Amino acid sequence: MLRIENMSVAYGHHRALDNVSMKVDSGEIVVVLGANGAGKSTLLKAIGGMIPAGNGFKASINGLQIQNKKPHTIVEAGIALVPEGRGVFGELSVGENLKLGANPKRARKHENKNLKTVFDLFPVLARRKNQLVRTMSGGEQQMVAIGRAIMSQPDIMMFDEPSLGLSPLLTTEVFKVLTLLKKTGVGILLVEQNARQSLAIADRGYLLENGHIGQSGLARDLIEDEAVRKAYLGG
Amino acid sequence: MEIIITGILLGGAYALIAVGLTIQYGVARIMNLATGETLVASCFCTFWMFNSLKINPILGIFLIAPAAFILNWAIYSLLLLPLVRRAKNKAMLEVDSILATFGILFLLEGLMLVGFGGEYFSYSFLSTSYTIAGTAYGLNRIVAFLAAVLITGTLYVFLTHTRYGTSVRAVAVDPAAAGLVAINVDRVSAFAFALGGVVTAAGGTLLSTFYTFNASMGVVFTMKALIIVIMGGVGDVRGAVIAALILGIAETATATLIDPGLTIAATYFLFILILLFRPQGLFGRQTT
Repeated sequence: MLRIENMSVAYGHHRALDNVSMKVDSGEIVVVLGANGAGKSTLLKAIGGMIPAGNGFKASINGLQIQNKKPHTIVEAGIALVPEGRGVFGELSVGENLKLGANPKRARKHENKNLKTVFDLFPVLARRKNQLVRTMSGGEQQMVAIGRAIMSQPDIMMFDEPSLGLSPLLTTEVFKVLTLLKKTGVGILLVEQNARQSLAIADRGYLLENGHIGQSGLARDLIEDEAVRKAYLGG
Repeated sequence: MEIIITGILLGGAYALIAVGLTIQYGVARIMNLATGETLVASCFCTFWMFNSLKINPILGIFLIAPAAFILNWAIYSLLLLPLVRRAKNKAMLEVDSILATFGILFLLEGLMLVGFGGEYFSYSFLSTSYTIAGTAYGLNRIVAFLAAVLITGTLYVFLTHTRYGTSVRAVAVDPAAAGLVAINVDRVSAFAFALGGVVTAAGGTLLSTFYTFNASMGVVFTMKALIIVIMGGVGDVRGAVIAALILGIAETATATLIDPGLTIAATYFLFILILLFRPQGLFGRQTT
């Protein structure tokens, strides 16, 4: 279980996150909804150790404290981030990207099993193993990014707007994969602007407004909520 | 034909120097202006070990390499890592690292001038001739070239076929993303900087077997290495090797056909042509 308590992040004088607390259990999908600039990416980056968060917050996975740790330590602890813009190694091949995904010590002995999982989910990657990632389409690069995260044998996976720049068809495909991953027992923290589709697959949701958590609750309740419908679902 | 073979033999040592620099710049993101001094220091070490301890220069690489690794690791961790941490962007790190390594350049050069003075040094190792296609070449040059090929080949296999080597390339491509696959970016950068220093030092050892050197010639080799790296494309090991051979041939051709005094002029002429027509390097892609 991932647990965040009182996380605040400031860029200079601008508070991007203000006392955010949340948790993600294994085997559930939690979606964080918010407008552009609400602090969604900041939240994931701060959990992943890519940007420093202020003092006084706590972050833990399965009881292990991870606040103020470096990204590589946090991956070792079992949290994988699929960043916005995908963060894949464009100059390396698909196979090399996936192999690097299995770089954490926790993942090495599961490398073959995880590779099979990835190739079952995305058969196109098996066929294009030797292709350089930068020569692939946006959707295929997204598959590499998700595949690479799966390779690191995570307990919690974080996705930063995985539908960004994808066609509706591919978006549906990606969301289907998230549901499949959830069934394997992985906990998923999903940040999205596509409220309708993400609430449809999520178990719970948080609304992030100007850096703090407004509403939160079960996804099926949020879908019905009048205020949520107005702000995120277009009435 | 003679020019081409002589040029290629010279290019072998050049390739090591340039590959060392390109690894340091491509992975650790340090433009190391003291790279020529690393090379000269290695020349002197080899010279000293050969003269006083009778250690074979080729075997001497096995002593110099670990020393170069430790020294470069220390330089990176103590001196350069604080700059990396402090840098807000790539340009800032570039300026800081150029200034810092410029300082190291003078420090090393000064130490060597104190130790050995300004005279030229050389020693005699395998200075017999060996005939290829009817022309005699120095056996030391041939041995140095073969050793350079072996070192570069080993390095290439390491970078492309091992997990750690792939991690090194991952940091070169995208340090932020490297953290996401549990790569300790600081440690891999320090390793890459040290590895680059080792390759450069090995180049120095090999060069010293057939080349006359002195304490203040480092800067010429830094320039040559820079030219090769830019010609080959920054961070591109294969490009650096080909560019080194081209430079070796160009210098030999100028020295034989025109005048030995014009070799450096020829080097820069080539450099200007590259900057004008292929600024992204011989094999580089146009950046978008």
